[in-house]
Amino acid sequence: MSVKKILRTNLQQMIFLGIVVAMKIILGQFSIGPITVKVGLGFIGSVLLGYFFGPVWGTIGGGISDLVSSAIFGNQGGFFIGFTLTAMAGPLIYALFLYDKPVKIWRIIASTILVTLIVNIGMNTLWLHIMYNLDFKAALIQRLPKETIVPWIQMVVIYFVLQAVSRVKVKK
Amino acid sequence: MSKIIVGRYIPGNSLVYKIDPRGKLLITILFIFVIFLANNPITYAIITVFCLAAVFATRLKVRVFWDGVKPLIGLIFFTSLLQLFFMTGGKTYWQWWIFTISSYGLVNAAYTFIRFTLIILISTVMTVTTMPLEIADAMEWLLKPLKIFKVPVDKIALVISIALRFVPTLFDETLKIMNAQRSRGADFNDGGLVKRAKAITPILVPLFIHSLETAIDLSTAMESRGYRGSSGRTKYRVLNWSKYDLISLFYFIALVLLLLIFRNH
Repeated sequence: MSVKKILRTNLQQMIFLGIVVAMKIILGQFSIGPITVKVGLGFIGSVLLGYFFGPVWGTIGGGISDLVSSAIFGNQGGFFIGFTLTAMAGPLIYALFLYDKPVKIWRIIASTILVTLIVNIGMNTLWLHIMYNLDFKAALIQRLPKETIVPWIQMVVIYFVLQAVSRVKVKK
Repeated sequence: MSKIIVGRYIPGNSLVYKIDPRGKLLITILFIFVIFLANNPITYAIITVFCLAAVFATRLKVRVFWDGVKPLIGLIFFTSLLQLFFMTGGKTYWQWWIFTISSYGLVNAAYTFIRFTLIILISTVMTVTTMPLEIADAMEWLLKPLKIFKVPVDKIALVISIALRFVPTLFDETLKIMNAQRSRGADFNDGGLVKRAKAITPILVPLFIHSLETAIDLSTAMESRGYRGSSGRTKYRVLNWSKYDLISLFYFIALVLLLLIFRNH
């Protein structure tokens, strides 16, 4: 990978990780789309973490992004270790599918669906269930409409982003 | 933009500000687990009193806390309503199709509402009275035990401080890039799905290249100043425990004891 070649020392990698984490936090503050289906851009950061840093450091970076963003912006809904795990699981899944691999449409589709099912629907609902003692089914019903629409938008965005970012690698 | 640099921190000098960030962070994290202990009206009343005591001890305007709750108020009501309609058990007051209002549902809706609000309030106390840098230091301290499992805590601390340092810088950079692209006709809020997805790349790619360059420059600068890995270094920013931390410790122990005594076993 040419980004790896550009970043020669371990220190450079660590600093780049820090900056990509910062990027994820900032992207998380932006969203696109009309008010009815707002899509936060934080998932782009997860994809970049997985794509560039692999399962180990991508996962760590995801955890750090949750910690730092709650330090700066405060965690909406309270500090809870579960959401840190959620932030770690996303980059992990993206890394398993995308790290050191050519950008393929099926990889994007599979990883996004898995992230949606495991992370957004599974884990986050579980945390809400634990934190607020919500009825699991009720919490699920509340999330389902959004989670059936958003992944498709995410896939399109991920495709264009990875295309663009892999072009950056070739040019450098 | 300046809002983002300081985060949600609001300067002040009441008691809560003097408590060590490590203590505050620990209490905030444990609060969510402690709230699980509450399972009857008395325990919920106790925890509400303790939470409000913390809120008033900050001596900040109520508005600050209202701003913390406001973005989630819809969600709070919606989840409470779901609890109300879908929980069954106890006396049934009203029923239609899949919706039921039962005594069990009513009580649970109230508990959910209180829980939600209290967790948000106590987190707001934490983020509003502590500077982001202090919170990051506290997090670093909390991660230290992970060293036993060979987790590279020093490297993580470096990444945390770099991320914290670059959030405001990159945010400014992002806004600049967006304005620069806008001035040449880019439109980020219009068009169909594919068009909007494509519109992200003119922001992301410059941001990404900028980040790569910054990483290289910064690592060169750090190495030329003698940085050779995280081990064997001293600390300039040190956190100190003080007598005020005893207050927070007693606050927490008293809360846990009261909850343990009065909860339904």
